[in-house]
Amino acid sequence: MGSSGLAGERRTQARRGCTWCRNQRGLTSDLWPQVTRFGEVANTVTMGVAASSPALELPDLLLLAGPTKENGCQELLGLFPLQFVELFVHDESRQQLKVKFCTGRAFYLQLRAPAETRHLEFGQWVRLLYRLRYHAGQGAVPFTQEESEDEGWDEETIEDPETKEGETLLPTQLQAREARLDPQTSELWGL
Amino acid sequence: MTYAYLFKYIIIGDTGVGKSCLLLQFTDKRFQPVHDLTIGVEFGARMVNIDGKQIKLQIWDTAGQESFRSITRSYYRGAAGALLVYDITRRETFNHLTSWLEDARQHSSSNMVIMLIGNKSDLESRRDVKREEGEAFAREHGLIFMETSAKTACNVEEAFINTAKEIYRKIQQGLFDVHNEANGIKIGPQQSIATSAGPGACPRNSRDTGSDSGCC
Repeated sequence: MGSSGLAGERRTQARRGCTWCRNQRGLTSDLWPQVTRFGEVANTVTMGVAASSPALELPDLLLLAGPTKENGCQELLGLFPLQFVELFVHDESRQQLKVKFCTGRAFYLQLRAPAETRHLEFGQWVRLLYRLRYHAGQGAVPFTQEESEDEGWDEETIEDPETKEGETLLPTQLQAREARLDPQTSELWGL
Repeated sequence: MTYAYLFKYIIIGDTGVGKSCLLLQFTDKRFQPVHDLTIGVEFGARMVNIDGKQIKLQIWDTAGQESFRSITRSYYRGAAGALLVYDITRRETFNHLTSWLEDARQHSSSNMVIMLIGNKSDLESRRDVKREEGEAFAREHGLIFMETSAKTACNVEEAFINTAKEIYRKIQQGLFDVHNEANGIKIGPQQSIATSAGPGACPRNSRDTGSDSGCC
């Protein structure tokens, strides 16, 4: 899947000014290095949420972008309905989120932001997670505290024990998908 | 890189037919035997040259699983081309083509070019759908048809590029209003400055296209 990338395959550090969704109205976005258990940056993605309709009170889409091989500029990798995605706070002290798809695939992201605003920005994401989970009727605590669900880290392959084999989906593996769309020309349309 | 036009494509078809593998082969020239199930939509893009013009293909790789079907329908809008894919080794994926085609016709522009693709042509020994059946289905429904193998890359380039050629041909014939992005066609940044004419108009003042523009 495009959002992730194999560890070490791409270490491009996208610059904030290049973030494609900065100027999109109603979108929250931030740079999120994908991190390994050793705290190494495996890859950097830009993650944002958006509402597919102005009538919606909450976002219903998760968007992920990553740097292109050619020029390092951000291009859109994927658009995922939030009904198929769960977001968790993985480690508040390190500003890390866990993104988990309904397929069982999961990965961890650490917020990259200037030190002076990092806590503020992460706090905004936490508030968003609370609202999304409350809205989804999942309870109001968006923290993994993964005693039973996941045993700590597994940045490459995570199989959801709740997903029965053959039910929906296969064990998943984070896959590299190189960046695609040119954000500078806002080419995503048709939604 | 600048381009004369951008075409939006969607790739549709049953789960497991090789939609994501076709995209990966086309954009990255590699094959991945095990691929994650797609949810939502994943994007790919590549520049191709059609008739001396640089054309950017923006490809929406959609989820094929039935449980995502209603979501997938929302991505058809504004597509200029569709790759409708079945697996030649699984008869049921061929049987479901009518349903996919209905969705495509219902939720997209009537001018959308549809390429029917029988994928996994490398698995000849396991073939379950004859090539002639694919050809007949395509003929009956006015589609272009090719058999491909995302594994060996056989016909993958051709499938994407022939679709682009057909879209380009329709532009030249004035069948697509290139100024209406709902048709899945976007004029490149430079061209949009240069053009002010109506449907089917061609860029005139682009370093990409130069003076060899065939339709102006």
